Amino acid sequence: MIGHALRRSAPALRASLRHMSTAEAAKPTGLTLNFCLPHKPIYVDKAVDTVIIPGVAGVYGVTQGHSAVISEMQPGLVKIYHEAGGEPENWFVSAGFALTHPNSVTDITAVEAVKVDDMDPEAVKDTFNQAKSDLAAASDEKERVAAQIQMSTAQVMGQALGLNLSA
Amino acid sequence: MRAAAVLRSTVPRAACRTGDATAVVSRGMATEKQILGRIVATKNISKITKSMKMVSASKLRGDQERLAAARPFSKWTETIAAAPVLMENLDAATLPKHTLILPITSDRGLCGGINSTITRGMKRLDLAMQAQGKDLSLLIVGEKGRAQLGRALASSCDRACTEVEIPYTFATASALAAEILKTPDADAVLLVYQRFRSAIAYETSCKLLINLTKLEQEPMVEYEFEPDTKSEVLQDMYEFTLASSLYHALMENATSEQSSRMNAMENASKNAGEMIESLTLLYNRARQSRITTELIEIISGAAALETK
Repeated sequence: MIGHALRRSAPALRASLRHMSTAEAAKPTGLTLNFCLPHKPIYVDKAVDTVIIPGVAGVYGVTQGHSAVISEMQPGLVKIYHEAGGEPENWFVSAGFALTHPNSVTDITAVEAVKVDDMDPEAVKDTFNQAKSDLAAASDEKERVAAQIQMSTAQVMGQALGLNLSA
Repeated sequence: MRAAAVLRSTVPRAACRTGDATAVVSRGMATEKQILGRIVATKNISKITKSMKMVSASKLRGDQERLAAARPFSKWTETIAAAPVLMENLDAATLPKHTLILPITSDRGLCGGINSTITRGMKRLDLAMQAQGKDLSLLIVGEKGRAQLGRALASSCDRACTEVEIPYTFATASALAAEILKTPDADAVLLVYQRFRSAIAYETSCKLLINLTKLEQEPMVEYEFEPDTKSEVLQDMYEFTLASSLYHALMENATSEQSSRMNAMENASKNAGEMIESLTLLYNRARQSRITTELIEIISGAAALETK
């Protein structure tokens, strides 16, 4: 009886599989994303639709078929669109590099990255205020520059969260 | 028995002090007490090696996880720099005129052959490079390497970095990269480390990072650069690649060190165990022969008394 049932269901199964395989073939191969941090890989060989990268020269987007580009990233948001027109996944990255290769593989390497959802607005405000007071108290060039970097990073983080922090 | 006590002091024995169970028996064989001393010492050593092995095994798990997390991060460097090669396959002809070499070794000993393999490889490389008229300078990471290479290649040793805080972080690698970049005339940096293959295998590998800003031909022409100042981006990218590759090499070496120490301590414990077994047999034989000798004395003494 089991054999009978299988014989009946097998053609239906085969038909549905055929449908699936042609559907897969019809979908264009998208972008392959490698998004890695030194201490943990976030995405390895993940197929995504679009990635928005905060380059030093400006924010730009990468889709499949984009020309090969190597760009230095500044602290900002990396937006990953897993499907076209879907909601982006927002990650705040510290500096790093983004390489797009001719074969539509994009490597995003950053020293630190956090999901915007995991960021705490209060902590960002505190960091900004701390940096502001550090800047005022800075005695030499090195301390001043370090405080300025912290301030501008906190500002960008605030922007990502919708806060408007200004000096 | 009184008779036995009397006999023990009067019956002569070859090569001995007066009637003492621990006296050296004939032919200079070790006494029971000496063998017991050796057994106890070996047992103590085996306790230490066993505990070191367990500590290494637990640290290895942590290091392996960190390495697995770190490995994907360094894949992107293979666009900029070549993939790591085995040191035995490294051709000195591929190295430029001035190379800064970073052999990565451990700070602590009792870790098997990981450091001596690197020292041997470095000596061979030094000869090969001298034959081709190229020069090298060394920045040694790890106390063991500093001691061994400081003797072997004293003239090339430039700087050493020891007692780095473990576990290694990207911050450590960045600080080390900043120090490396203070070498103005290095055309390339060669990282020499032990790549972790499995808990029982590691291989000496080299990763060559050529300073892209010093190449004559323009590198990576097929890529656009943002921002447009290609030389600046290349410089920054070289620094980042250096820090990333260094981080990866440190992770690999740390994991290899733990697995090598675990295996070395395992072998030491096994050898100590075998030694204890053979010493115990020896001890039992010595003990039994002493008892037999005493019995013989007593019996012959008693027999002598009876016949009287």
